[in-house]
Amino acid sequence: MAATAQKGPGGAQAPSGTSTQPNSIAGWIVRLAALAIIDAFAVWLVYMMLGDGVWQLAVVLAIVTIGINVIFLRPQLYPLRWVSPGLALMVIFVAYPILFTVYISFTNYGDGHLLTKQQTIEQFESQVFLPEDAELYNYAAFRDADGNYMLWLTPRSGGQAFTVTPGSEPVLRDGEPPDVMDGFTRIPQNRIFGELTALSALRFGTDEDSFQVSQQQFGVAAKYEPLYVYDPATDTLTNQQTGVVYSPINGTWTAEDGSTIQPGFMVTIGAYNYSRLFTDPALREPFILVFIWTVLFAALSVIITFSLGTLLAIVFDVPEMPFRRLLRSLLLIPYAIPAFVSVPVWVGLLNPEFGIVSQSIKAVTGGWAPAWFSDPFWAKIGILLIQLWLGMPYMFIIVTGALQSLPTDVYEAADLDGANPWHKFQSITLPLLLITVGPLLVASFAFNFNNFTVIQLYNNGGPPMIGTASPVGHTDILATYTYRIAFASGRGADQGYAAAITVIIFLILVVITFFQFRYTNMLEERGENV
Amino acid sequence: MRNKLMLLLSVLIIGTMVLAACGGGQPTAAPAAPAAEEAAPTEAPAAEAAPTEAPADEAAPTEAPAEEAAAASGDCAATLTVWADEQRAPVLLPLGDKFKADTGVCLELVQKQFGSIRDDLKVAGPAGEGPDILIGAHDWIGELVNSGLLAEVSLGDKTDSFVPEGVAACNFDSKLYCLPYAVENVGFFINPDLVPEAPATWDDVKTLSKEIKDAGTKYGYLIQENDPYHFNPIQTAFGGYVFGKDANGNWDPTDVGIGSDGTVAAFEWLDSMYADGLLDRGAAINYDLMSAAFQNGDAAMIIGGPWMLDGFRSAGVPYQVVPLPEGPAGQAKPFLGVQGFMISAFSKQPLLAQTFLQEYVATDEVMSAFVEANPRPSAWVAANANLDDDLKAFGAAGLGSDAMPNIPQMSAVWSSWGTAMQLVSQGKQTPAEAAAEAQTQIETAIAGN
Repeated sequence: MAATAQKGPGGAQAPSGTSTQPNSIAGWIVRLAALAIIDAFAVWLVYMMLGDGVWQLAVVLAIVTIGINVIFLRPQLYPLRWVSPGLALMVIFVAYPILFTVYISFTNYGDGHLLTKQQTIEQFESQVFLPEDAELYNYAAFRDADGNYMLWLTPRSGGQAFTVTPGSEPVLRDGEPPDVMDGFTRIPQNRIFGELTALSALRFGTDEDSFQVSQQQFGVAAKYEPLYVYDPATDTLTNQQTGVVYSPINGTWTAEDGSTIQPGFMVTIGAYNYSRLFTDPALREPFILVFIWTVLFAALSVIITFSLGTLLAIVFDVPEMPFRRLLRSLLLIPYAIPAFVSVPVWVGLLNPEFGIVSQSIKAVTGGWAPAWFSDPFWAKIGILLIQLWLGMPYMFIIVTGALQSLPTDVYEAADLDGANPWHKFQSITLPLLLITVGPLLVASFAFNFNNFTVIQLYNNGGPPMIGTASPVGHTDILATYTYRIAFASGRGADQGYAAAITVIIFLILVVITFFQFRYTNMLEERGENV
Repeated sequence: MRNKLMLLLSVLIIGTMVLAACGGGQPTAAPAAPAAEEAAPTEAPAAEAAPTEAPADEAAPTEAPAEEAAAASGDCAATLTVWADEQRAPVLLPLGDKFKADTGVCLELVQKQFGSIRDDLKVAGPAGEGPDILIGAHDWIGELVNSGLLAEVSLGDKTDSFVPEGVAACNFDSKLYCLPYAVENVGFFINPDLVPEAPATWDDVKTLSKEIKDAGTKYGYLIQENDPYHFNPIQTAFGGYVFGKDANGNWDPTDVGIGSDGTVAAFEWLDSMYADGLLDRGAAINYDLMSAAFQNGDAAMIIGGPWMLDGFRSAGVPYQVVPLPEGPAGQAKPFLGVQGFMISAFSKQPLLAQTFLQEYVATDEVMSAFVEANPRPSAWVAANANLDDDLKAFGAAGLGSDAMPNIPQMSAVWSSWGTAMQLVSQGKQTPAEAAAEAQTQIETAIAGN
């Protein structure tokens, strides 16, 4: 039962012994105990999730746990044991959220549609109204040993008092409510609070003449009538006061004349969000411009940070440089400061009136400084400068690491051939670097494609474009632009629409990075010829 | 080998069952605190900052409401869950003791960040884990009511004890959805050393700015480049508005006033300030720069709110809160921001919540305690008597104003309105064009929903 060996550069080789099962009992016990703990935890989580109604996540968790068990128990799957934690976490925290987002993009979930249909029906059915000329009563509540309630109702306008229990006719009474009567004990006014929930749920009296405790005013009861009645046969809500009939259309209760009542409920609406995305005139015209700038912004960010990072890494690669360690540590500082802090500081530094960068430039040029926030071109330059400052340390670190793994004999051969430093860099260093660092550049591109933070903090996507159907800025990227569309569109937050936008951006990125990975594969072949 | 495998599988399954049975017994027990069932008084706040309660506080503040039902409910006839922030919670805590002593109902106080209450309610409410009572800002009301998350609130016979503007802010679709406790608005700050006499109109502000600038100060009157919230008093002084009102006094989303003549006039005033050199185009003044400029004495007049008072006092800059200058259309009316108590639609005991708010919160002591904890003008008339002069001046500035519109369509306004203001400030568009374009953008956005 030899396990298969792994292929590929630097891949791990499974032990090629006769058996992959450890011979010791202790090993088995440890493995089983660990699996038992994981299974117990998973069972408990699944039970809680099903209790809360989150069945999708429960199913995913169950599948993942079963998968882990299979991987660890079947000897043929020995190599998978090492990737199983990563696989499990990837499925739960990456794959599942993506699938859930796709699901949400086919619904109308958002402000105004947060509830389920049943919840909205319950809310409407709990609304009551007081018919005109209806009498208001003050009440005193009574309770007997079996937990039945009785109300002593006194009309507010003065008149005959009476008592009533659920399901019985009113019985006329005189005088003040006593403390005990007919087996019922009076509940003191200040202790009524504990009974309010139970009292509110009851309808006292007969069906024709039913009294209810008011939900709005303490101590008041009246013949409230339900404002809405739901008819399951026709799936409609009827307003008892006005007679208007509302049907559920696309998650909103709509009358025939088009008027609606709130709240609505969540419902799947097919590809409506996607068609809205493609046919919305507010979206179409600036979309191309925003898309082009997004690609440019991500690509330029990667290129400039990589260039400066590589330059500095090569410069610092000389062992004889003094204070090498200190300088390297100082160069890493921008990477350690969170963007949330450093970008506003840079915005302050770049301010045309008060910022020190602008004032220094003015001192040199005699009064002119770039309009970092109001000119479209200079705003883009400003953002790229900040990106350079933020991203260069990351590239510096990874290129420094990659440089250590380059073979020195090739350089000696190049020296013998009479290559100058630029030749050596272009033909040897760069291709070999790109092989190692290529995937990281692709990842950096994908990260900057959606770099919401920097754009938002710099100038909120501004300076604004003139003449567009919806607010767009010259430095808006797809993420900030569509965030505004989804969450500041006059309906509150529209998560379904935002999910559709997310899916589209995701697909765009997948296509772009697919081609980027193919390019880095090409580099690998080229690197093999070095 | 097969038998061995079966044996191992069965051992595994049995082990799993045993662990699952012994571990999480009750479905609602918190994973980290199985000992939470010890009889901790359920009125303890679940925040880590609570000085008095220690044992049962491992539960995260947002999970507490679900546990109190399972926790020892020994002597509580019922429990009310309240979400409050760190400034309101200390006032409500002793109130909970009093409430329990009087009525036998316990108050469960959950301390949350103010900014996260709205989003948490949207998720927790429908899931049944939300509060009975929560605090919130009045401009959340529209979207929360449309999502079916709030229940009506009644002020009972105490309506007249509240400031009418505060009550009007809680109104949505002719119903009341909050019990207000604080009313905030911006006012006009001047530096008395630089400004001899408070300006009466916005034209006076312009002339005064010129004199101050000639005398050497960097700015007379300073305003941010892209902040319609602070610009609104100027806009209303010239007759502009954001949303009109319909016959019932509710906000009318079909009547957008950003393109109205009054707004254009206000933009023209702003443009003239830049054109005359009293403000610098392209200076990109934001909120931080504006308040820093006033603190440094680089600006003599700004529009600001009571939240700036602490900073100015500690910086030692001389300041004075004066009435907002008037415009051709009369009084400058800043946006009012009202905070209040709301009742969740998913509360199982709305009447209990209602009664607690009406009888226990809407009292002189509690409302004054709120003012002491967080000095802001109160929505309770009697509590405003003890305010310091600055806060009283803010309150006076807000009299007769409207609250920010709380309808959901308001979210479509801010971007376009701010953009129009920015384009006018930068000189990229004329006031009329900017206002008209913002109007079209807003109307398109609202109609598209």
